[in-house]
Amino acid sequence: MKKTKQKIIKTFGKLHAVLILLFLYLPIFVVVAFSFNESRRNIVFTGFTFEWYGKMFENTRLIEAFGNTVIVALCSTIISTVIGTIGAIGLHKYKFKGKGIIDTLMYIPVVIPEIILGIALLVIFSAAQMPLGLLTLIIAHVTFSIPFVVFTVKARLNGFDPSVEEAAMDLGANRLRTFFEVTLPIIMPGVISGALLALTLSMDDVIISFFTTGPRSTTLPMQIYSMVRSGVSPDVNALSTLILIGTITIAILTQSGIITTIKNNILGRKQK
Amino acid sequence: MKRMLCICLSLLMIAGTLTGCSGSKSSKDDKKTLNFFNWTEYMPDSVLKAFEKETGIKVNYTTFSSNEEMLNKIKSGEKGMYDLTIASDYMVDTMRTSGLLEKLDQAKIPNIGNIDSKYTNMYFDEGNNYSVPYMISNAILCYDKSKIPEGINSINDIFDKKYKNSIVMLDDIRMVMGLAAISLGYSVNETDPAKVEKIKQKLISLKPNIKLFDSDSPKTSMISGETSIGFMWCAEVALAMQENPNIVPVYPKEGISLMIDNFVIPKDAKHKANAEKFIEFLLRPEISKMVSAEFPYVNPNKAAFELLPDSYKNNAASNPPASALDKAQLVKNLGDNAQLYDDVWTEFKNS
Amino acid sequence: MKAKKRFKGLPKIVTLAPVSIWLLLLIAIPLIYILVISFLGRNSNGSIRYSFALENYQKLINAQYLKIYAQSLLIAFFTTIISILLSYPFAYHMAGGSKTKKVIMMLLVIVPFWTNSLIRLYGWKTILGSEGILNGLLMKTHLIQQPLQLLFTMPAVILGMVYTLIPFMILPLYASVEKLDHSLLEAASDLGAKRYHAFLQITLPLTLPGIFAGSIMVFIPALGYFFVSDLLGGGNNMLIGNLIKNQFNISQNWPLGAALSIVLIAVTILLVKLYTKVGGNIDDLGVA
Repeated sequence: MKKTKQKIIKTFGKLHAVLILLFLYLPIFVVVAFSFNESRRNIVFTGFTFEWYGKMFENTRLIEAFGNTVIVALCSTIISTVIGTIGAIGLHKYKFKGKGIIDTLMYIPVVIPEIILGIALLVIFSAAQMPLGLLTLIIAHVTFSIPFVVFTVKARLNGFDPSVEEAAMDLGANRLRTFFEVTLPIIMPGVISGALLALTLSMDDVIISFFTTGPRSTTLPMQIYSMVRSGVSPDVNALSTLILIGTITIAILTQSGIITTIKNNILGRKQK
Repeated sequence: MKRMLCICLSLLMIAGTLTGCSGSKSSKDDKKTLNFFNWTEYMPDSVLKAFEKETGIKVNYTTFSSNEEMLNKIKSGEKGMYDLTIASDYMVDTMRTSGLLEKLDQAKIPNIGNIDSKYTNMYFDEGNNYSVPYMISNAILCYDKSKIPEGINSINDIFDKKYKNSIVMLDDIRMVMGLAAISLGYSVNETDPAKVEKIKQKLISLKPNIKLFDSDSPKTSMISGETSIGFMWCAEVALAMQENPNIVPVYPKEGISLMIDNFVIPKDAKHKANAEKFIEFLLRPEISKMVSAEFPYVNPNKAAFELLPDSYKNNAASNPPASALDKAQLVKNLGDNAQLYDDVWTEFKNS
Repeated sequence: MKAKKRFKGLPKIVTLAPVSIWLLLLIAIPLIYILVISFLGRNSNGSIRYSFALENYQKLINAQYLKIYAQSLLIAFFTTIISILLSYPFAYHMAGGSKTKKVIMMLLVIVPFWTNSLIRLYGWKTILGSEGILNGLLMKTHLIQQPLQLLFTMPAVILGMVYTLIPFMILPLYASVEKLDHSLLEAASDLGAKRYHAFLQITLPLTLPGIFAGSIMVFIPALGYFFVSDLLGGGNNMLIGNLIKNQFNISQNWPLGAALSIVLIAVTILLVKLYTKVGGNIDDLGVA
């Protein structure tokens, strides 16, 4: 009796999980399917065609927006990962006056609604008379990414045994060498997952980019935002499908890296 | 150790180069660029490409959905962020009196002679020193006759309870409030608080019938059958009619408000000469025709009108009857009373 | 050696300076600036009037704005509850699987993140429209006579919010359920407890931190979103996010926008304090 009950519950769990995944992927299927749609409007499927994939490359504004997105994402990821990683190490190791303030500030971009950070940055850029463009976008993206990098690396540092560093220094390595040859390799999974997180946040950011972007620096999400209001032409679907394929490929290629990272992150937090 | 340092240094270098690249890209744009800020769905890509091909000037095209949005961006952005934009009649007045516009070098824009004199030397810019008419974008009503066989010919018709959840409205303060004002027989520039209160109540009574607000592409809702009545820009009606022959344009008997959209050059524009070149280009009859072919607004360019096909000339949405034009009201700048309308709009949207 | 001692403070500065300066310049100062602006007035041409004024906050106390806050809180609340109900069984199932299954399911949840959220919401428009896929199916199979009016309604907005935010609920819940010590459950069943008893008395209380963390990660962003209601709500609902955005985008009333934001920040701080009071660990937030 108990076994059948258990089986029923397990099957129900499986069914529920499948439904949830269906829920998550249904609109993605629709987007991919309509990238092959003959009709210009994303309403009714009229016929199968590849023409939108070709048209996509002719849509210079779309490609330019995509280019901007990639530039901003790469730059902001690199900068925020560097600042965030060394910051995490510093915050983990040292105490100083005002640490409480820095810790609190760190939580703000994570916890408050993005719109507040967006307008706050807009206001400060305006006060500093900074023209809105790629530079302000990158600064904005770094700002919301740094805390995520810091938290991810810090989680990794929590399981970190400082005696390894001390041993290296006793053997004569200076601080810089110790960092690059001992500390960094050990926390690398955390650094990578923090960088991936920063990259993801940057590529998909709508709200903060909305307030900090200028006329020459439209990003892909912003371009799509102006299009989804007036009617998306299928070349956007085509581009999205290609991006999806690209990211799934990267995910599969780094699968082993992600398994280890996730395992270590969860293990690292378990050991807290 | 050396390897790690090299990797880190090269990463930082890449980051630096990339940011540097984007920096230099914007400094390279000195002569051959035009930063054009326009309404959504208001300029065919083919026209921009034709201009780029002929002059070698690259057009950076960004869009907005309402006059207020455009004004806001220009005021809050850096000086000279945009070289060219489109402002409706009352907005030209607002911007001109606030010193936000550059005076046009009329010698560079002789093609202005192509514009019907009905639309030049208007109240908001006598002498056309600051603006050149582009298109007339009245907002009119329309309905799907397969869903509403009884038809619509008065603004008050759409308030009928049987049309619950079936209207697509423009997301535009002046146009929508203007519609309610006209239905009450008031001016679209009414500032008497008692009358504005009546306008507000009338609007709120309409809210249950409104399914959605859309200033960018309301035709989509009419074509897809999502709504059966629409209050939208006349070209949107014309385009909807092309894709769904059941859609009928309506010039309500109470009247409509006119909206004359004009090219203007914001103050301190960095590429003023390029902007004037573009305006001159757009005034050519064959170019203006290209615009109307894709976005069939009322075209004030007499020379272009001659070239347009019968399908355009016979479409009531793109050609208001004289009776409608005579009664049409002009939207004017509200000055200090703008906040009054803002508050009504918030309360209306909230109801 | 003297040389080493002189540079003792250097690592501290090198690691802490960049992050501290960045946070101070780009988070602390802008927020303080917003606070200051919220107490300023507005000239009729839209520019900021630099004189102390309480008018923005006074304006907020009127019924219109309170209604907007109430609506936003309500939508955020429903979004959170629905997210919990949908995510819990999913996270539970995920935690009970093999290592490979866990990783695959984790990836499946995260991958949609990498496609643009706007285009996915647009996909929902195609599905929910009057002549969309769902209605088409229901009509064809004669389950309904008239198409269901699904789009441009409040439920559509809530669906969009749940859809966008559900990964933020699944991941903390999963992290919490995964840490569950199954020997406790075994002990309970050995002692004769029924399954649902064990669930209510053991599993639920122990996974409560995950529920709380997920709730914060869903509720607070839901308060500030504007693009979901723009896309799926048809501009019908005025939410706080839309109101704030309008002040900066259309109405040109930065002081009012600032005041609205300060109130939103206050609500957020209140919620976070509540969260820590009921035992939530603030370190659990943010590891999405």
